[in-house]
Amino acid sequence: MAYQTIEVTKLTPHIGAEIGGVDLSRPLGNQQFQEVHDALMENLVIFFRDQHLTHDQHKDFGRLFGNLVAHPASRHSPEGHPEILTIHADESSKHVAGEEWHSDVSCDANPPMGSILYLTEIPETGGDTLFASMYAAYDKLSEPMKGFLDGLTATHDGEPVYRGRFGYTPGDKGFPRAEHPVVRTHPVTGRKALFVNGNFTTKINGLTRLESDALLQMLCRHAETPEFHCRFRWQKNSVAFWDNRCVQHHAMWDYYPQRRHGYRVTIEGDRPF
Amino acid sequence: MAYQTIEVTKMTPHIGAEIGGVDLSRPLGNQQFQEVHDALMEHLVIFFRDQHLTHDQHKDFARRFGRLMIHPVKPRMGVDPEITPIHADENSTHVAGEDWHTDLSFAAAPPMGSILYITELPPVGGDTLFASMYAAYEALSPKMQDFLSGLVAVHDGEARFRLLGLEPRSGDRFAETEHPIVRAHPVTGRKLLFVNQEFTTRIKGLNKVESDALLHMLWRHIETPELHCRFRWRENSVAFWDNRCAQHTAMWDYFPQRRHGWRVTIEDDPVHYRA
Repeated sequence: MAYQTIEVTKLTPHIGAEIGGVDLSRPLGNQQFQEVHDALMENLVIFFRDQHLTHDQHKDFGRLFGNLVAHPASRHSPEGHPEILTIHADESSKHVAGEEWHSDVSCDANPPMGSILYLTEIPETGGDTLFASMYAAYDKLSEPMKGFLDGLTATHDGEPVYRGRFGYTPGDKGFPRAEHPVVRTHPVTGRKALFVNGNFTTKINGLTRLESDALLQMLCRHAETPEFHCRFRWQKNSVAFWDNRCVQHHAMWDYYPQRRHGYRVTIEGDRPF
Repeated sequence: MAYQTIEVTKMTPHIGAEIGGVDLSRPLGNQQFQEVHDALMEHLVIFFRDQHLTHDQHKDFARRFGRLMIHPVKPRMGVDPEITPIHADENSTHVAGEDWHTDLSFAAAPPMGSILYITELPPVGGDTLFASMYAAYEALSPKMQDFLSGLVAVHDGEARFRLLGLEPRSGDRFAETEHPIVRAHPVTGRKLLFVNQEFTTRIKGLNKVESDALLHMLWRHIETPELHCRFRWRENSVAFWDNRCAQHTAMWDYFPQRRHGWRVTIEDDPVHYRA
């Protein structure tokens, strides 16, 4: 794809591109917005360097792509910005966000379209984030397995992830839980993507527990295939924007007890089909 | 089913029955033969106590059910190619059938069944477990049943026999064959699961990760105790299993004691299904 207002440098054949020529603190023109969106659709996760964003500028950029949603764990928000999730780790951390491969908040009936993470403090080395293409994961399954999975749905449960973590307390309806197709169709690109993840997906519906466990373990292991991945090395003031409908990600916590800090906004998504 | 010439005592709801009132050393009458065959079809594995068989009597009984098979492993003892010695003692480094398996599933036409006659055994230990592959199939979810019904698996004799240092009776290697994962039993028509951990190496058309995951799941599934019976041998007991729908595994929990007997294996030949 030819871009006129941005520079796009791919990280790997399947996923990831670094975007140059954009200042996210200012409103994007129509064409530049369109090209950023195109680059996201084409590369699944895009990265920007040397950005300087206030919370409002961060949110304004996010709103170009949809409504913002408060994260279930939004207790960790800066004062007055419930749509912003603080991402923080230091010497007192017992866990960090996203230590396993996952799709953000897939336990919601309408999981996020995407998230925009802006890191302002990072350790000297470590703290990379891995992203995996669920298009590639689907494409690399055998034809019989694709045929089998195409007809199945899975349960995504927030409880195992959120209970006792993030200071999260469930609402009246309990922890969020949803059923989604195991293979979803991306609403923009029309491509099929594998949509189960080790964090939230507890079972494949209609199978016995043994069958479901075996398939989920196999699929989660399959999603770990390095050919589907890119690995982003953060710098201070880098921004990563991933399409949560076709990407899983995984944060390395290999820098303890060092400090890593930043902010994330999350963009509302549609019901998977 | 009402039997008139034999006594049939079920061991579990799914599999196994002890048969009384039969002397296997003498020719069976037509009705008694028919009832023994019916009991085998109904119970998948049948057991007889206190039998006294010469090799010829053992083979004559088996021949009522089909032609005898020459076992494809090069013999280390015994001279009659139609009788396989089953033997373990203080010198054994392995025994036959230590994992769940279907006998010789790598053959193009795996055996219809086997008749094992044990003449010496330790005071305790050496049981054999049998598992119903009908029940294994039926306990899968309907979605999994449908998925597996379209698939074919590869069975390779090298996978186990070569590891054990066994050599083929003829040729350079043991056979490798493909069989549907879900078969219909030629007599009962019931569907059954047909993969086993000794010989099934992969599911055709799947990636290795997919195939390994499914096979391991199925092998674990086959280990479900509800699908099993456990036979406690005595001297001169006979077990006759339908190899098409039953898997088995032999406990080797009696080393260094001696266990000895003889097995005859029956070819799966449609002509003899209803002799």
